[in-house]
Amino acid sequence: MEMDGPLDFESEDPLLSSPVSLKKRKKIIGLDDLLTDHYKDKCKLVEKESKQAKKKKKYDSDDEDFGKEAVVSQVVDECQNKMNQLGGEEDTSIWGLNVFGEQKPPPPPALQSPELKNCYLLQTFLNNEVNSLVNLTVEKGEAFLEGLLVNGWLSTLVSVTNRVEKALAIWTFNLMLYSSREELITSACDFWRDIMLTTNEVNQQHLRIEWFPTYAQLGEALETYGYRFECSLKPGFVHNVSLDTSYGLLLGSGRGGPPQNIRAWIKFITVCCQTKMKKNIFTSSEVERLAEAILCLFLDRQFRGVTVLLCECLQSLVHYFTDKDWKACCDNIAKALVSRIPMDLNCSRAVECISGVDQRSKYLRSTVAYQILLIFFENEATNEEEVLRVLSSMTVKDKSCDLFKLYIYLVLTENWLVGSRMLDGKPLICEMWGLFLRKCSCQIASTDLRSYASKVRNKASYILQSSFEE
Amino acid sequence: MEKPSSGVRGAIEANTLAILDASEATKHTRDADDDRIAFLEAVRAASLLPENKSPPTFKMCEAIFKILRFGNSLELITTSCQLLNELDLEFPRVYMTNASESSMPHELVVLQEAWSPFVLGTDISDSERATAYDLTGGLIDPPGFHLLLQGLAEVSDFENFQAPDTKVLSNMLLFHYLVSVLEGDFVPRNQMYRESMIWSSVRESLLNTMLCSRKMNYKGLMKDCVTTLCGLGQYLAEYDNAVPYSGTSMVKQHEAIDTALATAFLHFGRITCAATLKLMVMVTELDSSKKNADMLGHTTRADGVRTPLAEIIQDELTYDKNILSPFLQAFKDSKWKLEIIVQFFWKYISKPSVRTRRSNVPAEDATFSGVLKCISNSSSAKSITKKIGAHAIHLLLAHGFQAFLLLSTKKMGEGLPDSKEQLAGGSVVETCKNLISVFNCLRKLDKQLEISSCAKEAIFVAATILSRRS
Repeated sequence: MEMDGPLDFESEDPLLSSPVSLKKRKKIIGLDDLLTDHYKDKCKLVEKESKQAKKKKKYDSDDEDFGKEAVVSQVVDECQNKMNQLGGEEDTSIWGLNVFGEQKPPPPPALQSPELKNCYLLQTFLNNEVNSLVNLTVEKGEAFLEGLLVNGWLSTLVSVTNRVEKALAIWTFNLMLYSSREELITSACDFWRDIMLTTNEVNQQHLRIEWFPTYAQLGEALETYGYRFECSLKPGFVHNVSLDTSYGLLLGSGRGGPPQNIRAWIKFITVCCQTKMKKNIFTSSEVERLAEAILCLFLDRQFRGVTVLLCECLQSLVHYFTDKDWKACCDNIAKALVSRIPMDLNCSRAVECISGVDQRSKYLRSTVAYQILLIFFENEATNEEEVLRVLSSMTVKDKSCDLFKLYIYLVLTENWLVGSRMLDGKPLICEMWGLFLRKCSCQIASTDLRSYASKVRNKASYILQSSFEE
Repeated sequence: MEKPSSGVRGAIEANTLAILDASEATKHTRDADDDRIAFLEAVRAASLLPENKSPPTFKMCEAIFKILRFGNSLELITTSCQLLNELDLEFPRVYMTNASESSMPHELVVLQEAWSPFVLGTDISDSERATAYDLTGGLIDPPGFHLLLQGLAEVSDFENFQAPDTKVLSNMLLFHYLVSVLEGDFVPRNQMYRESMIWSSVRESLLNTMLCSRKMNYKGLMKDCVTTLCGLGQYLAEYDNAVPYSGTSMVKQHEAIDTALATAFLHFGRITCAATLKLMVMVTELDSSKKNADMLGHTTRADGVRTPLAEIIQDELTYDKNILSPFLQAFKDSKWKLEIIVQFFWKYISKPSVRTRRSNVPAEDATFSGVLKCISNSSSAKSITKKIGAHAIHLLLAHGFQAFLLLSTKKMGEGLPDSKEQLAGGSVVETCKNLISVFNCLRKLDKQLEISSCAKEAIFVAATILSRRS
């Protein structure tokens, strides 16, 4: 019996990798192997140099331990610097924009305090005999209402009375957008979500919401947080990203940026697009601006943790349009966005943050990518064919070819063409796309030391493998 | 077990994993992390975006999961978690057939070979765990799950709150994901059980298997759930964005955190609370299905004995009165909240009624109305105040009343106006009246009685409902 071979239960274990697929994988990643080997060689070279340096100094500082230590540490430092120079080339660029500037003072509240204290809900109770237990007075009114809101009574009361008073609607809306207390922000946001997304059919028909926020108020809030509508985000405004010493924490600009109310703002926009309580809260052009704003937030590194909220919001916004308006509006969003953002890694981020899970989202992704490409080739191309002609005529072997740009073109073109049915029935475009990919994957030598050389090569061969294989 | 991947899926697997290969294992450089993001994006594009979607293979899932577990940047953990959630939504492991058509009997479909982040079947001894850790690619076993929650419970310790770092955030997302996997498995199975009364469908659920595992400290797990829910809930409730520079020790630490981490932490904190609550509700649902199966004689000795979660919570609340308020605040499931509150009262009410044989108290009226009726009797009100304490009674009554209201409005929404009276025990109007008379009674017993603010809110709501209904 053969003892070295796997036992028969082992071969069934899905956790043990099957040798078959492993082999296959190796074949495809040959280029990566070469690259890692290349870097290993570089490391060895540096080590060798440091050893030689050590040898040289060995004679003068043989006896003194201190001197030795100093020399060694100096050499280590030198090596470190050299290593950093070797590997640090690509650390220079990273996506991220300063979307938010200085916060502004909040607008004067649309509601005066007496108005809240005189609201129907409180007034009717003051004369109730039960008030002997509660001891509610007009002065304590606002604090009492805060309690009702935080503990979730307010939405219960709404579902029982089928009415949201104007004073209460304005008051909760302002808390949600301008309060600094997390508890009040989230409770107010939950309150609006509860009443706007109620699934209760009876409530839906009878519920009276006596006041409703408009786009102007929501836009004003965003500006208060420091967001700049229609303001270029191009260099000059670019985020300074500091690399934390232990790599991994890529910090943004530290404290500052938008207040935490922004999360409630994003959720509220989402709910406004989903609700059936009120039709046409926003006009098409307003939704265009909101969608553009959400796409800009994606580009701010401060929102890395809450991309889920942004995705949901963008998804709801995209589906707010009627079928008739959709394509034209989508073009508007894409054009407005690309005119603001800088032409660097942020472009590919702007495209990849669009989820693409359904037809509309796919179309938006493709449109944004195409619009960015048009801006890149402003003087050379005005239509699809021309863009691809420019791409496929690039000489990637040439040292003057900017591989960083090329990498971005590659990502953009992939998102523009693949998955959006752009290639269906267009053999010419398809052929030029293939030509471009083959150039990128075959004509850049693995010994090419320029930064992004390996990224371009790997990306192109990946796209070739996955899209033309089937 | 999965067959060795072949054809198109095999090619996709090989291609996507090739992206990762260059950045093998534990390297955390910019390049390696870039590759991980590229890998996640590629898996997303290959499995979710095409017209005919196909789930990623075993190894691909494992690689995504590893990124979630061991990733050390906010971008990596959020992107991987979002992808895993999207995949689960698109390719559920367990689902019911023709759930929409009520005429056909439903069938439970379980994809045995689907990838899961849990390793349950085998109990691995501690010495083997280190090696198994590599083999299983960081999959979670029952003690691992408990360990994870324990870590979160420690983090959310209100007294010595730790400033969040990426590891804590990653654990929060991991826990959220694992609970949603348990939910996706348990909910259809439990629904199936309710329809068919076949106990095995629930017995084989991940949740039940995990809780019954010999390695699992079930009670400890549940206690940690309570701690996490209370601690985190309280922290989030008291967080104030406007005072980050004030003197209190807890807030001071926040100065060091940048906006991205702070925003993420507040969002993830809410997610974690919701996940903990979800887990607890599932366990109580499991308890109730198991009790049902016990009574029908469907369980065997192999099913073992577990203390129902509701009892554990009772004990915790009795043992530590300080957590009563944060627990009731954070435990937002009306059905089980009401159940727990009513049981809590009956522990103190029913015993003396047996001893004195009061004729007007029915032997077991275990509804909220029953509780109210009982306490409005001045002598039992006196005895119960002595046992539980005035403040606790107010809390329990207020939260019980709220849960009762929410349940009855929910049932009204579902168009079951008749059944609500039997289920919740009494009509809304009657319960409002009873609540007020209970507090009148308590006030009579103690003229100096300071009614707590949450009870005042409950009285306010009860009075408002009465004035609108009459």
